[in-house]
Amino acid sequence: MHKIESNNVNFYYGENHALRDISLSMKENTVTALIGPSGCGKSTYLRLLNRMNDLIDGTKMTGSIVIDGTDIYGKNTNVDNLRKNVGMVFQKPNPFPKTIFENVAYGLRVNGITDKNEIEERVVTTIEQVALWDEVKDKLKKSAFELSGGQQQRLCIARALAIKPSILLMDEPTSALDPISTSKIEELIYELKNKYTIVIVTHNMQQAGRVSDTTAFFYMGELIEYDKTKTIFTKPAIKQTEDYITGRFG
Amino acid sequence: MSTENNLAKKKRRSQNIAFGIFTATSYAIVALLFVILAFIVVKGIGVISWEFISEMPKNGMTEGGVFPAIVGTLCLVIASMIFAFPVGVLAAIYMNEYVKDGWPKKIIKQMTNNLAGVPSIVFGLFGMSLFVNKLEFGDSILAGGLTLGLLVLPVIIRTTEESLKAVDDTFRQASLGLGASKWETTSKIVFPIAFPNIITGLILSIGRVSGETAPILFTVAAYFLPKLPRSIFDQAMALPYHLYVIATSGTDIEKSRAMAYGTALILIIIVLISNLLANALRKYYGKKVKMN
Amino acid sequence: MASHLETELGKLRSIIIKIGGLAESQVAEAVKSVLSEPVLESKEVKKTENKIDKLDVKIDDICQSVFALQQPVASDLRFIISAMQISREIERIGDLSMSIIKLTKSIKEKHELISKFDITDIVRGVEDITVKTNECFLNMDENTIEEIFTLNTDIKSKSSDAIDNIIGEMKNNSKTVVSGTNLIIALKHFERIADHSTNVAESVYFMINAKTIKHEKFTDKK
Repeated sequence: MHKIESNNVNFYYGENHALRDISLSMKENTVTALIGPSGCGKSTYLRLLNRMNDLIDGTKMTGSIVIDGTDIYGKNTNVDNLRKNVGMVFQKPNPFPKTIFENVAYGLRVNGITDKNEIEERVVTTIEQVALWDEVKDKLKKSAFELSGGQQQRLCIARALAIKPSILLMDEPTSALDPISTSKIEELIYELKNKYTIVIVTHNMQQAGRVSDTTAFFYMGELIEYDKTKTIFTKPAIKQTEDYITGRFG
Repeated sequence: MSTENNLAKKKRRSQNIAFGIFTATSYAIVALLFVILAFIVVKGIGVISWEFISEMPKNGMTEGGVFPAIVGTLCLVIASMIFAFPVGVLAAIYMNEYVKDGWPKKIIKQMTNNLAGVPSIVFGLFGMSLFVNKLEFGDSILAGGLTLGLLVLPVIIRTTEESLKAVDDTFRQASLGLGASKWETTSKIVFPIAFPNIITGLILSIGRVSGETAPILFTVAAYFLPKLPRSIFDQAMALPYHLYVIATSGTDIEKSRAMAYGTALILIIIVLISNLLANALRKYYGKKVKMN
Repeated sequence: MASHLETELGKLRSIIIKIGGLAESQVAEAVKSVLSEPVLESKEVKKTENKIDKLDVKIDDICQSVFALQQPVASDLRFIISAMQISREIERIGDLSMSIIKLTKSIKEKHELISKFDITDIVRGVEDITVKTNECFLNMDENTIEEIFTLNTDIKSKSSDAIDNIIGEMKNNSKTVVSGTNLIIALKHFERIADHSTNVAESVYFMINAKTIKHEKFTDKK
């Protein structure tokens, strides 16, 4: 069974038909890259998976997205629970104006965990999980803004992981980072896929190649091609995909 | 080759002219400000002394100090802020974080803008009829503070709204994405990030409040009151009104001219201090809450 | 946290070591079949040949995906390029060994000829060169490269002497023409094996020094 299954998803920003008939399924513990030129709908699709688009006024969605067998746009879906299960990491590192410790603890606190020991343990394990522990263990009480951009982004990943989601959405997570930080995040993604199902939007095709198992190419709101990353990058079935990944896009 | 050189020269000349004008304009503004300041400082510095700041006016306000006016102004600032700051901030939070885009929001916005455009003397009149007469507060710090509060409300709402708008949406999404409620997101994440800018707006409006004359004219200001207010229902003197009085209708205008410049200097110093404070606070919090 | 690319390169390296080992044993079989009884294409040898072919395809496959997905640069890039070349050379070595084993069936009087023309030395030399080549790759050892080149030159000259002698023998004794010809072909194959080994060594040199030394004499190469 697929972890995430979308069937004939259409999405509108007012009059603008942003996504057209997207059917796309992702297996558990895989990394799926969404690629395509700006405005192709890849980020919009990503934000449908944790209902982040609900926050925008005047949008409409049809079709269904099923996660773990439940339609997340169904009437009985609890959006808070959905978002707890589907973590998100953003383009620019955006740690909260709190200490490093509190950034990771925030998600636990708002979800009603009050036991001090439990919070501490979960914060430490999560920071270890993103390979940040050695760098921050002596300054957990310092502001998260004292970290470098790459460290901040790993902290943001830790923040998302602390509440134990099973899916992680990443919206161009390295576009604001230098190459070294970028490769650290990429390695992290590679490690994390053992435990999580990851969907990543990226403008960087090489990155899609490096981190993902499957790749979906979006263009003008349509899903053009979806296949194993290796297939997409060695013998794409559709001319548009080939043109895009070879940089011959007209 | 030579035409290229000519072109380059031409370009450089027009650039020099343009930048020259910009530079001149900027320096002219600074110079003007310094002229005004220097004028007041030169005229007023003579009367500034510890006595001037700490004593009551004497001899028909031609001698003595402006102490009660300073205290009165401070009381008015505090009273107006206690009213306007919470109301303005809460209104702004409501407008920016809770109301969906649509006509109700547009109307509230338009009304706030209109309120900002109302002449201050009209506020004074309104304050008099509502607070002084209808609610029977009398001429008092309460009535004056509320009137001044109304006056700066739109300013506070607008600066708070701008500060909230400047908070990147991904902070909200990140917090909501962790299962936090809208209120938790607003109070624990968005507001702390916006706080430095909000506080700046607050302090700038303090400058505004301490300089206003018209709204306090009918609501609180005493012509001459050689004692300090005891409660919020007392009348009080205030610097701008005091300045107006001794410059236009004092017992001896010629004699109190120096006192007037001294008062103006004190007023300017208060506004200046609050502006500097605003900057310092913004820098201090900005370091803590760096938006990178 | 070993990087994804490093993992892939490690995999590639161990496959090359494996395919090199297989080729080495094929050459050893070929040598055995020339020097002693003909091994009539034992199942074992055929199996190994199949394995070599499969690994060769697998190396190509890995290289292709590393190129497409990982954008190797600098030493990683050289490693991948060399890996593709090396696997091709090794696959050829395997094929040639098979051909030799097939040929030996037709050499009836080989023992006579072999003892007469000192072929043992040559084929042992070839066996030696393949072992050395594998060591050279395994240890990334520049020093063995020179040895390999010397060994190759040595084999070439000995082999051409031997071929001259065999031709002389064939002129004198027409009975030996068939086995003599086959032996010449076998010797030529051995020479080719030595050449391919030398190419592998060249690829290793390229990997280490980022310098191509093909089509040059080794003495000029340094």
